[in-house]
Amino acid sequence: MTALLDVTGLHVALGRGRGRTEILHGVDLTVAPGEIVGLIGETGSGKTTLARAVLGLVRAHSGSIAIDGREVSGLRRSALRAFRRGGAAQYVFQDPLRSLDPERTVFDTLIEGLAVRGGHSRAELREAAREVARLVSLPPGLLPRHPGELSGGQRQRVAIARAVAVDPRLLICDEPVSALDASTRITILELLLRLRETRDLGVLLITHDLGSLGGVADRVVVLYHGQVVETGTTEEIFLAPRHPYTRLLVTSVPSIGDAEPPDPELRRALRAEVRGLTAHP
Amino acid sequence: MRTVTDALRTRAGAIAAAVLAAVLLLAAIGPFLAPYDPLRNGADILMPPSAAHWFGTDYLGRDVLSRVLAGAPASVLTAFEAVGIGLVIGVVPGITSVHLGRAYEWITLRVMDGLIALPFLIFAIAVAALLGNAVHQAMIAVGILLAPSFYRITRAAALSHANAQYVTAAQLFGASTWRVLRTHVWSKILPTLVVSTANATAGGLLIVSSLTFLGIGVVPPEPTWGGIVASDLGYLTQRPYGPVFPSLFIMATVGALNLLADAIRDAGGDHGRARTRGRGGAARVRLT
Repeated sequence: MTALLDVTGLHVALGRGRGRTEILHGVDLTVAPGEIVGLIGETGSGKTTLARAVLGLVRAHSGSIAIDGREVSGLRRSALRAFRRGGAAQYVFQDPLRSLDPERTVFDTLIEGLAVRGGHSRAELREAAREVARLVSLPPGLLPRHPGELSGGQRQRVAIARAVAVDPRLLICDEPVSALDASTRITILELLLRLRETRDLGVLLITHDLGSLGGVADRVVVLYHGQVVETGTTEEIFLAPRHPYTRLLVTSVPSIGDAEPPDPELRRALRAEVRGLTAHP
Repeated sequence: MRTVTDALRTRAGAIAAAVLAAVLLLAAIGPFLAPYDPLRNGADILMPPSAAHWFGTDYLGRDVLSRVLAGAPASVLTAFEAVGIGLVIGVVPGITSVHLGRAYEWITLRVMDGLIALPFLIFAIAVAALLGNAVHQAMIAVGILLAPSFYRITRAAALSHANAQYVTAAQLFGASTWRVLRTHVWSKILPTLVVSTANATAGGLLIVSSLTFLGIGVVPPEPTWGGIVASDLGYLTQRPYGPVFPSLFIMATVGALNLLADAIRDAGGDHGRARTRGRGGAARVRLT
């Protein structure tokens, strides 16, 4: 099966001259249609930069990024705009409040992508907004409201609905549940699972919390200091992690009930081992 | 726009709007309300206020009320003209400098730096000498010098929203720069801009009054509020209250504009206050 997202040997550097810092060092990553891939790594490991590079928000220094079979890393200006209007890849931000324009209603937010694309009557836009609101279980009564009048979970559902309104093939969610409480978090993750099933959506789910990937992600990619250090099915990563950083992540997942608590000695040893790893060879 | 309408619902905003509406009405129909010819000399010079001459007469026997009314358009509308020129020259590059690339940004910044470095009065006199001593030429000078303040205020507001996540989201839909500006940026800049414009108009009115006081822009005997103050200054011993009447009109208009600016800023709430600084805090436009 052709990968929906195929990133090969991606290098990204930010800044210029002396301030230039290489963030990603030859990252490889694939997401298939209907697959949810968890991208996990600590703060500063390059997760968001990878997502921004895929979306053309930062330039790739070298390497290739193909979305739905089309190379996009070289696209600039009008070509990039035209590709984006196609709506193949969309992004869901971490903070739902900051990602929604406070002065635009939920309705305006939901139809933005279609309005940019053009060619839709007002009635069609209204119907599309209602349909996508239904898809993410947003009551139609919320459509005339502003983001400030919604709860955190409702805002994140609006953000996801805005992204899926243009019927993307790939959805990149950057820590979509980290700002939400536990019950809302489950609602949002279930919504992603439902979207994957109903729309055959490929999802790249970025997180620093391994626990939120369990039961959701099909595969997990572990990013450490701008490099992919381990890739495997969620089961493999949880049950048989190979890289010290992945083992540290797994032992750091809190456990309750009958589950055996992780050995603090083991965690200390892993932390020391991870600290001893070079940032980049 | 919600901020502006909220401001007009407050008592201060409503009073300011009422005074400004009256001043604008005066500027529109003032000359037709004048009871006497504002340019006609009379035999009764330096008369105190009376039923025949509510504001008295000046050193040439001209009716001061008629001159104040006839001078309203030149005094008020020219201030708007100057601010309008400043807005066009300042706001458009201010917003676009954030979105149209580094070279364009650098050029606009350096041009505005150059304009800031020009001393106001010398520049105004130089423009009047170059283009002729008429009111529109003077207002071009004032407008050009107001532009850097509008540029910087607008640019600062645009910068604070340029990297907002909802702007990125719009860009990911393939929205053009123009569309992003229109749908996401402009409405955020507008309240700041309205506050600055109100302040700048107040300052512009003072500048027009100062220039006409100095005889730049409007040549006597054409009446302007600043010019009437100047003509009365030589006769303070005989008519010490002479400058009071035109000054009251200048003060009322400037006060109302500042009051309106403050009301709009306050209506902006915490968000509005964060954008401005200090007591009376409007992002005031530098005029001198």
